[in-house]
Amino acid sequence: MTTRVATDVGGTFTDVVTLTIDPASERQEITIGKADTTPPDFERGVLAALAKREVALDRVDYLAHGSTIVINALTERKGVTTGLITTRGFRDSLEIARGNRPDFFNLHYVKPAPFVPRNLRREVGGRLGPDGHEREPLDLDGVPGIVDDFRAAGVEAIAVCLLHAYADPNHEARVVARVRELWPEVSVVASHQVTREWREYERTNTTVLSAYVQPVTAGYLGRLTDAVAGRGFAGRLLVMQSNCGVDSVERAREVPIAMVESGPASGILGAAELGRVIGEPNVLALDIGGTTAKCSLIEDGNVRIMTDYWIERSRESAGYPIMVPVVDLVEIGAGGGSIATVDDFGKLRVGPESAGADPGPAAYGRGGGNATTTDACLALGRINADYFCGGEIEADMDAVGAALDRLATSLGTDRQAAARGVVRLANHNMINALKLVSLNRGHDPRDFTLVAFGGGGGMHAVALAKELGMRRVIVPRAAEVFSAWGMLMGDLRRDFMRTSLLGLEPGNAERLDALLGDVAGEALGYFADEGVAADAVRIVRHGNLRYENQEHTVEVQLPDGPVGAAAVGEIEAAFHEEFERQYTYRLDVPIELVGVHLVAFGDVGRLEPAPLPEAGGSLADAHKGRREVDYADEGIHPADVYRGEDLGAGMSFRGPAIVETAGTTTVVHPGDEVSVDPWGNLVIAVAAPTEVER
Amino acid sequence: MSPDPITLEIIAGTLQAISDEMFASIRKTAMSSIIYEVLDMGTAVTDGEGELASSGAGIPGFVGTLDKAVKAILAEHPEPGAIAPGDVFATNDPFFGGVTHLNDIVVVMPVFVDGSLIAWTANIAHHNDVGGLVPGSISGEARELFQEGLRIPAVKIIAAGEPIEPVFKLLAANTRLPEFLEGDLWACIAALRLGERRLGEVARKYGVETFEIAVRAHLEHGEAVSRRALAELPKGRFEFSEEQENGAVYKVVVEITEDEFVVDLRDNPDQDEGPYNSSYDGAEIAAQMIFKSATESDVVANAGTFRPLRVLTRPGSVFDAQLPAAFAIYSEVEIRLYDLIWRCLAEPLGRRLPAGGFTSVCGTFISGRHPDTGRHFTIVEPQLGGWGASDRADGNSALFSATHGDTFNCPAEIAEVRYGLLVDQLALNPQAGGEGAHRGGKGIVVDYRVREDGIFLTCAFTRYRNHPWAVDGGLEGGSNYVEVIRADGSREEFATVTGLPVNAGDVIRIHTANGAGYGDPKERPVEQIRADVELGYLSPERAVEVYGIDPAALPAEAR
Repeated sequence: MTTRVATDVGGTFTDVVTLTIDPASERQEITIGKADTTPPDFERGVLAALAKREVALDRVDYLAHGSTIVINALTERKGVTTGLITTRGFRDSLEIARGNRPDFFNLHYVKPAPFVPRNLRREVGGRLGPDGHEREPLDLDGVPGIVDDFRAAGVEAIAVCLLHAYADPNHEARVVARVRELWPEVSVVASHQVTREWREYERTNTTVLSAYVQPVTAGYLGRLTDAVAGRGFAGRLLVMQSNCGVDSVERAREVPIAMVESGPASGILGAAELGRVIGEPNVLALDIGGTTAKCSLIEDGNVRIMTDYWIERSRESAGYPIMVPVVDLVEIGAGGGSIATVDDFGKLRVGPESAGADPGPAAYGRGGGNATTTDACLALGRINADYFCGGEIEADMDAVGAALDRLATSLGTDRQAAARGVVRLANHNMINALKLVSLNRGHDPRDFTLVAFGGGGGMHAVALAKELGMRRVIVPRAAEVFSAWGMLMGDLRRDFMRTSLLGLEPGNAERLDALLGDVAGEALGYFADEGVAADAVRIVRHGNLRYENQEHTVEVQLPDGPVGAAAVGEIEAAFHEEFERQYTYRLDVPIELVGVHLVAFGDVGRLEPAPLPEAGGSLADAHKGRREVDYADEGIHPADVYRGEDLGAGMSFRGPAIVETAGTTTVVHPGDEVSVDPWGNLVIAVAAPTEVER
Repeated sequence: MSPDPITLEIIAGTLQAISDEMFASIRKTAMSSIIYEVLDMGTAVTDGEGELASSGAGIPGFVGTLDKAVKAILAEHPEPGAIAPGDVFATNDPFFGGVTHLNDIVVVMPVFVDGSLIAWTANIAHHNDVGGLVPGSISGEARELFQEGLRIPAVKIIAAGEPIEPVFKLLAANTRLPEFLEGDLWACIAALRLGERRLGEVARKYGVETFEIAVRAHLEHGEAVSRRALAELPKGRFEFSEEQENGAVYKVVVEITEDEFVVDLRDNPDQDEGPYNSSYDGAEIAAQMIFKSATESDVVANAGTFRPLRVLTRPGSVFDAQLPAAFAIYSEVEIRLYDLIWRCLAEPLGRRLPAGGFTSVCGTFISGRHPDTGRHFTIVEPQLGGWGASDRADGNSALFSATHGDTFNCPAEIAEVRYGLLVDQLALNPQAGGEGAHRGGKGIVVDYRVREDGIFLTCAFTRYRNHPWAVDGGLEGGSNYVEVIRADGSREEFATVTGLPVNAGDVIRIHTANGAGYGDPKERPVEQIRADVELGYLSPERAVEVYGIDPAALPAEAR
């Protein structure tokens, strides 16, 4: 028996998904469960969730873990006192940042404060050039004094970031070695361990944030490791990363900042894996939770990775950059708990404020007086008031009515119109997010399948797909814990970015080949340390290219094998084509390579999800009845209601319909055709869009 | 039947999304750092008549420029059929809706649905070189617009989707950097086309009539937001005048009534003989910027927003210069005017407005031969500086001036590669000044060490002698200037200079001012003074001298 387990620590609940494979019959069984999240000792919630599912840890081979500990420590400012050592002349870089002011008419704008105060930002002499050559020798004489000051100031973690260290880590490594010599217990991290890309402010800030959360994260992961080991776990414990891969606990402890967006990344990984299993390589992934909606585009089965991720960035604030590989996603404040308000000018707004879990939507009856998206869906019959939250909560429909009436009064309309308005606006916000990851990147959403998950995915998916002209929507089985399922599918994955400026011309083929060889060597060395043999490692190589004098780059996959003059020609053609696809024109000027991006996958035993066993019952057994559902744009229709858990592979039916499970509701619009695929996913063929009501 | 309010709002939201998308597209594809990093560019959607519907701007100085260009193009092409689907027009001339200076080329494209002109997409970007007296086209020595480069008088450059080759040849022949001009211009054109496609989709989906109603409603919303804020402002007639560093005295009278905000600039000096001039449109932009900040800084900025604002000028004056005036340094004139109106209102508007900041674009232009590649390089950059304190907070350190907004400075690691200079330091300015109950933010000091002979420096800084102005007993801020430290150790200091030769081993050191203080320094809490000393923002001596702190109260290591 093979057992894989994924645990996903969310804000409210800790989810667990287990998969057991009987080697004799190859029969797979998936179970899901959850327990309350238990801050600050998150491992207790993990153990409780495992205990609830009666998971015997001594029989588990693979335990994947995702948590929001890093992002929470950052946004709640619960890291440790951090010191920075940087190049002479640049200690203020962290505070100067990039000087931008997004809220530019606001004379009372407040610039985000640096995570390290000025007295804990110290300098050492020595300079490298952009190609890594030493321009001025490193001067370590000041380090003992700096370390003494840091100790006295209560510093618990030290970040080291020197100019041009992306090109050669030598100076940084020597600073780190000297610090360790003087103060072995302190947590210390250098920028080259985190990223090998240029832009000193971004790299410094990323290193600082990683140091800031390191002791907290390492402590947690250590306790978790001990706790599962104490219960007999002897398999591989892996930690979900922001790049849609999993990595070892050791690496996660060293550079925890790479976990910053692991939550959304696991769902997007799940969507990519689901697409692979069912033969849908082009997927728009949409994850709708209580507070936010996240979306990402998967092309040819590949997730897109970026390194210009920011936290706390908005129209009101410049935020903080984090230069680690993060799946390219757009996240907006639109979810089930998003609060609807009417502004002073009588305009309806939905989100980004959320009612959260407490007090939650008005329907929770816990005094949440604000109408939320969930309340609007209840009022419109989209959510079953008699089976709210899987029957665990009795929907307080009086409170829902009162909250919507208040909204309606401010809008000068009635309850139904207000509820429709909330749903339409929430959808509009999500459509804009989906356009940002598709149309704005030069992709036509009609060429993609929408995979919608999270508690609210099925609620909105069909309406969004219609609006975007998409014809196919998939709501996965157990959509509410799909992120945890995604983790089960994870490969060991690391993204290696390396800045190195090189003209793209045949004469440079050798240098490009050497650069790729160097980075690949680093990747193989890393996996060797993880106990993964070289033949189990797969490397996909990309180049970041631009027309000479441009700044931003376009990523192009590089051909396999040694790079010669012919390959350079191929790369050139691929770049022109990709640039034109994204930006509608091409230029006849020289091309530059700014750096390479290698994705290295380490095979730790890939899973093939097996189809469900034959359905026992019939569609009629799953049919719960019929109710009036308000589809907003398409009016009110009597919808067939199905119990999702009783739907079996091969069943099919037609909208208007509603599919209810304990954790989600899927709204199927009139004319849509639904079929249940062999893995239990709802596959919805979306009817052609109807005229919008004028 | 009138469309429901949610539909109107969805369309309004889409207008903004389209401006933002055009903005992001230019940023990704432009060739010049002045565009992709400084974001000296803006995008907009206007209605069919050129009324601003939405802006996607990196810099506030470009919000409200593009509608003026569209209107000029409409005026220049009145005959039927002169504006057709797929056309693109360009202007850069302040006398043809170009507003700013010749470096800023505006391109616009009409959006037709079912044969009717329903909207325009437009963008503006600073191009590195459009010919003229000096590389970069910006010279403090220019006396006439004709010396500042090629004038593009609101002409068609693409007809029904086909580039008009002679026009492109003319453009390319009139710049020192044709490959940049071409690359940047196509980045701008691609964005126009993107916006045109999106707007067409929206209008077709909801119907032209609904689309137009939605745009009108959006403008009315902009106006309602401004009017409500206007109602809350103190009413009256306020006057202020300030001597400029070139000796000219600028005067403003602001009259705020129940329904109007009038900026009267008629009593101002004749236009400058050099390039320190603004067009009428430029003066209006300066007034719009401070109007917007003083009324309601968030929510929308469209044509409706600025309806309550009226700007009066005298043709032939510095704020309404006529041919053959030169305009290259218009941005310093504009920001001086902006600061003048701000200062005029600081007292009457009470706590709404902070004290003065470094408030100069601090335009810095460095060009020459790259020592590693042998290619020509040009730096065109504004500087970061210190902002003034307010009644509620210390000023921000190291932000771009009011003219620039979501603008990014150039990382030292990139500057060293791109320009072949060495960046020796980028630090907060240690100079004193700007103390107060709330203190001003810090300016910066940045050092560019030159590696090659024959590099040329041009700069145009103001607030050099006249420092950032304080409020309510605070202390004034510091000074903006450039120091050139020669390899032999000698030093020169400039606020403005054109084409100064700089050679290998010389250091160009840029200083920008600390912002001014707000409130009496004696009212600053001791804890905050201690913290400033501890963090190195304030010297112990200055703490004693200005704040009157007891030396014994200072941190031990600072005593």
